Amino acid sequence: MTIRVKVLDRPIEEVSYIRSTLSGLATTFKHMIDPHKVTMQYPEERWDLSPRWRGTHRMLTTETGKAKCVACGLCPTVCPANCIKLVPGEDEEGNRYPLIFEIDEFRCIFCGYCQEVCPEEAIHLGRHYENAEFSREAFVYDLERLTAQMHPVSELWDPADPSGE
Amino acid sequence: MSEPREVKMVSVTIEGRTTVVPEGTNLIEAAKTVGVLIPHYCYHPGLPVAGVCRMCLVDVEKFPKLTPACATSVMDGQVVHVHTEKAREARKGVLEFLLINHPLDCPVCDQSGECELQDYTFQEGRATSRYEEPKRFNPVEDFGGDVMYVPNRCILCTRCVRFMGDVAEEPVLNVSERGDRAYIGKAEGHDLTHEWAGNVVDLCPVGALLSKDFLNKARAWELDRSATVCTGCSQGCNVTVETRDNTVVRLKPRSNTEVNHFYLCETGRLNYRWMNRRDRLDQPMVRVQGALREVDWEDALDAAAAALGNREVTVLASPNASNEALFLAERIIAKHGGQGVFRVERGGEAPLAGVPDLSLRAERAANGTGARLLGYTDLAEQRKPLQIGADSAVLVLDDLLEGDIPDAVQQLLAAGARLVHVGTTLPDAIAARVDVALPITNHTEEEGTFTNLRGRVQRFLQARTAPGLARPSWFVLGDLTERLGASDGFYTSAAVFDALAAAHESYNGLSYARLALRGLPVLDAEARGLTVEAIHA
Repeated sequence: MTIRVKVLDRPIEEVSYIRSTLSGLATTFKHMIDPHKVTMQYPEERWDLSPRWRGTHRMLTTETGKAKCVACGLCPTVCPANCIKLVPGEDEEGNRYPLIFEIDEFRCIFCGYCQEVCPEEAIHLGRHYENAEFSREAFVYDLERLTAQMHPVSELWDPADPSGE
Repeated sequence: MSEPREVKMVSVTIEGRTTVVPEGTNLIEAAKTVGVLIPHYCYHPGLPVAGVCRMCLVDVEKFPKLTPACATSVMDGQVVHVHTEKAREARKGVLEFLLINHPLDCPVCDQSGECELQDYTFQEGRATSRYEEPKRFNPVEDFGGDVMYVPNRCILCTRCVRFMGDVAEEPVLNVSERGDRAYIGKAEGHDLTHEWAGNVVDLCPVGALLSKDFLNKARAWELDRSATVCTGCSQGCNVTVETRDNTVVRLKPRSNTEVNHFYLCETGRLNYRWMNRRDRLDQPMVRVQGALREVDWEDALDAAAAALGNREVTVLASPNASNEALFLAERIIAKHGGQGVFRVERGGEAPLAGVPDLSLRAERAANGTGARLLGYTDLAEQRKPLQIGADSAVLVLDDLLEGDIPDAVQQLLAAGARLVHVGTTLPDAIAARVDVALPITNHTEEEGTFTNLRGRVQRFLQARTAPGLARPSWFVLGDLTERLGASDGFYTSAAVFDALAAAHESYNGLSYARLALRGLPVLDAEARGLTVEAIHA
């Protein structure tokens, strides 16, 4: 037995697509002459980032080009995502320095605690977001890569008013 | 020994809490009994009172001014306030002066995280400094031994000076110069190569005296700590083993007034690298058609039981094996006949002059006394030669077999004895000869007890995870004895110890719960001539 479906008879002006197609095209043509644009021509054009933008890390260096880090171990301690690996060592002059300093940018939640806790102002978050890679391993930034980053660093507080008063 | 003197007890109220302590106790110790920590730097319970740091100033009712708690003995009915406005203000002043020349290099200082200057400054010091002049600077000095001196961080509490002078009785250190130029000086032509000098690093409340061995290795807050017993000699010093990422990085003394007070010698302190060794035996192995094959535990234990079964067993045990392991191996001997022997490395003695009965002992193993109590003989003291039966087996229990294999064992092997090796490593000396090799954990990876030379039974706890398939020694030997019909099998090391206590008179009535973390002497220590009194008598 076949199932019969009852089809309601509706007026033609309600079921025709012509009217809605025309109103859609009207919107399209209106935007062709409307000067207000929201689409940005990335990557030719880019957003201005806030000075507090928290993006991929950067390790600052001294005048001699060495990382400022003294391997105090505060950033791996404070890191809520546990993404910093640090093994301390001693250089030729007997100074403490990081033998291994790695940040797993995949695990990182970009909270900025590492920058905030750093007593040497060495590790910083950056005003930077273009960090696509072809492999997962490439997201683990080692010391060499962190020091080689050149993007501006994040300002978590106003340098003129550090306590925010 | 002199007659015990009648000790008068006095009652004292500290921070509103009343406590009863023996007369002559100082306020810092009295406050500890009610859970109040009076901040202090120069005072240490193991050292004579100096009263130089002025950090322990407290307010005592009816005293005209603040008094240092370390140098004030309790009096009956005394009422002490630690946290009054006046006392806090005084200590804040002391801290401000201490920090005047302090470099505040906590990020690179090894003491950071366990520094009393950090703790008390955080607790009651000023948030900022008012000092604007340049700070005094002195270069880092190598004090010899394992000790490095960073004079800038020093607060001149003189704990190290008093330790070397009054406890080690080798007054190498002194306070040189005066006023703000003062620093800890070293006597001309001497250094801290003394066997017990490493203790100044533990005594130092700040980062002025540092261990060169531990320098820049780890931060204090990253370490996992576990109570254990030093295996450096038969003294059995109580030790805390500190690990980072499952690697032992340092050993620190754990206070026990019955054994090592607050101290640990250099030999014990630096004797941790072997605990991390990588060339471990971590798979049970059985010889199949001439070649060692990795097999699973059940097959390996069956093969070991078959090799030992109904043969006279000669057990060559390590004097660093736990009482539990030695006891289980002894059960096999008791069941099938045989003998237990061990050998122990010897070295020079190095007593700590100011502490009675504390010394680096000649016998350089933790459990020689335990092995003797459980019926093993020292090969060096063995008079008659080992019996060599026609059909015998050798069980090597964690003897590392460095150097020579003992002649007697060599003869047994030459006569075709079966060889079962239960150890942390597979020594090259017997790798070609062994029938079954069972991997066990070392003492940092298992729980157990040692018996020190005074017959004191002390527990050690697990500090790291076992490598590969290795199992605790009591677990392996428990399964093996069960297969050989020598025991009913065990599920915990505590149960093995209970069986040991039931089987051996010396250990009767002892249990893990009773031993706790400070240990108890075996019952017949006096009769066996183990105690100091028995030796002198």
